[in-house]
Amino acid sequence: MDTKISAVADKKGIVTLKTIQHTLGKHTNLVTLVVLIVALGIMTGGRALQISSLQNLMVAEAVRAFAALGVGLIIINRGIDLSIGQVVGLVACVSASLAQTSDYAGALYPGTVFPVFLPIIVGIAVGTLFGIINGLLVAYGNLPPFIATLGTMSIAAGLQLIYTRASTIGSLKNEYKHIAQGSLGPLPYLMIYVLAAVLILWIMMTQTRQGKAFYAIGGNPQAARVSGINVKLNLLKVYALGGFLYGISGVLLSSRLGLANPLTGDGMELDAIAAATVGGISHSGGIGTIGGIFIGVFTLGIITFGMTYMGVDSYYQLLVKGMIIIVAVYFDMKRHAKRA
Amino acid sequence: MAQDQNYILEMCNITKKFPGVLALDDVTLRVRPGTVHSLMGENGAGKSTMMKCLFGIYQEDGGEIFVNGKKENFSSAKHALETGVSMIHQELSIVPERSVMENIWLGREPGKKLGPVQFVDHKKMFKDTETLLKNLEMEFSPNDRMGSLSISHQQACEIAKAVSCDASIVVMDEPTSSLTETEVNHLFKIINSLRDKGVAIIYISHKMSEIFQISDDVSVMRDGKLIATKKASELDEDKLIKLMVGRDMTNRFPPVDSIPAEVCLSAKNYTSDVERSFKDISLDLRKGEILGLGGLVGAQRTEFVESIFGLRKIKTGTLSINGKEIRIKSPEDAINAGIGLITEDRRGSGIFPLLSIIDNTSIPSLKGCRKKVGFLDHKKIFNTATGINKKLRTKTPTFHTPIQNLSGGNQQKVIVSRWLMTLPEILIMDEPTRGIDVGAKYEIYTIMSELVNAGKAIIMVSSEMPELIGMSHRVAVLCNGNLTGVLEKNDINSENIMRLATQFE
Ligand SMILES: Nc1ncnc2c1ncn2[C@@H]1O[C@H](COP(=O)(O)OP(=O)(O)OP(=O)(O)O)[C@@H](O)[C@H]1O
Ligand SMILES: [Mg+2]
Repeated sequence: MDTKISAVADKKGIVTLKTIQHTLGKHTNLVTLVVLIVALGIMTGGRALQISSLQNLMVAEAVRAFAALGVGLIIINRGIDLSIGQVVGLVACVSASLAQTSDYAGALYPGTVFPVFLPIIVGIAVGTLFGIINGLLVAYGNLPPFIATLGTMSIAAGLQLIYTRASTIGSLKNEYKHIAQGSLGPLPYLMIYVLAAVLILWIMMTQTRQGKAFYAIGGNPQAARVSGINVKLNLLKVYALGGFLYGISGVLLSSRLGLANPLTGDGMELDAIAAATVGGISHSGGIGTIGGIFIGVFTLGIITFGMTYMGVDSYYQLLVKGMIIIVAVYFDMKRHAKRA
Repeated sequence: MAQDQNYILEMCNITKKFPGVLALDDVTLRVRPGTVHSLMGENGAGKSTMMKCLFGIYQEDGGEIFVNGKKENFSSAKHALETGVSMIHQELSIVPERSVMENIWLGREPGKKLGPVQFVDHKKMFKDTETLLKNLEMEFSPNDRMGSLSISHQQACEIAKAVSCDASIVVMDEPTSSLTETEVNHLFKIINSLRDKGVAIIYISHKMSEIFQISDDVSVMRDGKLIATKKASELDEDKLIKLMVGRDMTNRFPPVDSIPAEVCLSAKNYTSDVERSFKDISLDLRKGEILGLGGLVGAQRTEFVESIFGLRKIKTGTLSINGKEIRIKSPEDAINAGIGLITEDRRGSGIFPLLSIIDNTSIPSLKGCRKKVGFLDHKKIFNTATGINKKLRTKTPTFHTPIQNLSGGNQQKVIVSRWLMTLPEILIMDEPTRGIDVGAKYEIYTIMSELVNAGKAIIMVSSEMPELIGMSHRVAVLCNGNLTGVLEKNDINSENIMRLATQFE
């Protein structure tokens, strides 16, 4: 992974201050995360770092991780996506409605028995469909991504209300809930899904032509075009991929909560964009790694978790979170400015 | 139409319209295999547009293109590359955040199959790049970050990229604009070996000497029309210039007869805070003087002048202006001290693509164009900005046209106009005529001459020998960051400049 600490020893095997500095500079995100974890450990006398609390943290962040991965890829391609939260919410509602127990009288489709895989497939399809619409608008309709996704955000929010008739969809089947709530030994399933997605996307971004094309388009679309890369098609692909990941996020969210309502997913776009940004994805495009996004998600996660653990008022949590986002990006920008 | 097999490329009756401009008017170009075919013409003549039609970036409005006698209609760059046409673009087309090798193989990375998935073979990519760079005698590593290379090395990368495509037609649109003489000679070696392999090269440049050194055939364009195609052996510089500008041009340089007066800028012991950059440079500049700054690319000339302008930091050194010592920490300080700088990388850092020519020209001068209450004096802005642009003969449908619609050379004229409009006392010009045609070069030289006659002072960084010799009162030469000598008027000649420029090699 790009963010792993590379060997800090120079040729003679002596670790010099300079090499340490260099490595630290290269992996600011990871360093921040480690510092935060250690700080939290010290402040709570190690209590916050028990296995069970870490499991909670992972479960809480996993759903957001999918959204952050999706929007992170889009930002690498010089785009942005505001529709995340509403699309995730819509997906959660649709998938939940297909996973209700058939004997539940208040179900959206009472008496009908759907196979367990159906809500998963339909949910992901809905997410992907929205991704494709965003992609078409941006790549072929030449709409600015901010505006295009602002539009689809509102559409998804509307559909969510219409579909649920503004009520909560509950009483989901146990098998369905197991998808996100189960665990393999100490490892929650959710964590396994996230790690698998990170691995696959990491391979895509670093080991395949597709990844090279994404980075090139974000770095300089004109250069990508004259190198024979179909920029429009690739933009469509990245928004569709984003939608696919929101789809997974939505399914997992309804499965984890065991219900979905019109408020599900609200505001997730901001968390996802913040996480990607804290993880070192540059909004000028072409810069950032999958590992970075992953770290960004957990950095924000650990901040919230730590503060809650220490009993910080949730209003103050917002202040702290905002400041941390600004500081993290400030140092990241400084680092890039130095290189230019 | 029966196509002649003697030609590898035929572009017949190509027409291309842009809003307000007929960029190409029924142009026919035929290129033989194994030759270098130069395409000449003033800024805005349509050279780049013609090549972009060939490369599938623009779709021609009329006409036909035949490659190897087969009719082709390229819809994208990918399509052109697959058919064996590669192109070095006038605008650097690099992805700065990616490595050299990723840039070179972008869009056609060597693959290896692992099951159903196609992976990029990084090892092969590295090896291939290493061999390629070695064959081309280029001295950077495949893993270098593109953005960390100098502009001239970036251009070298683009050359490597075009060569690596194994194309049968290679278009080079001003490939040498950022290269020095040695590097140009090196490029010519590469071109000659391509030619021997039967590759056809279409070569666009504004540098006369290059054209005669390398071309077999020369086509000249003017105002979107093809004027003539001739054998290079039938032409000489004067004939060629006449075809290009449509009139005789007897002098390439205006007389520079101002007499330098007292010292207005004096830099002492200037040393960069970056290692391996310039060290201990002491230079004086007089009012009414053009001081040439020569040297090879990498001699740190740009770094030196940019630090005078406050764009880079220095470790030691003092600067006095008109005898008073001042500290310049930012470009703003420099502008307030009466210094102007026309940067080397004008396309990269100079233009606001969507703004009009007037806006692009007047942006740093708006302070001086206000009415009493503080509102902008649009009439004054318009008149001054258009006046300077007209003088430089910026070719454009109107002065309200967005600058991105202009040809490369005309964009540069606008940027030169911008800094002339600030009326600086001391003007630093870093490669002021790069990419500019002969006629407009003369206009820029004339303006320089007028400025020094009016008592202003100019530092001119240039890699073009004739320009250094023709325009400077004195020439200071840098080599590897050291000042190796200052030549007085009578000692200025190419041997002396080259000797000083290569002192440490
Ligand atoms: N995208 C565009 N939109 C509108 N007009 C354009 C566009 N591209 C080029 N033109 C116009 O077409 C004409 C030819 O431009 P072109 O770039 O081909 O000139 P050139 O011969 O390459 O000049 P130079 O030597 O300065 O590079 C110019 O008048 C220019 O203003
Ligand atoms: Mg051009």
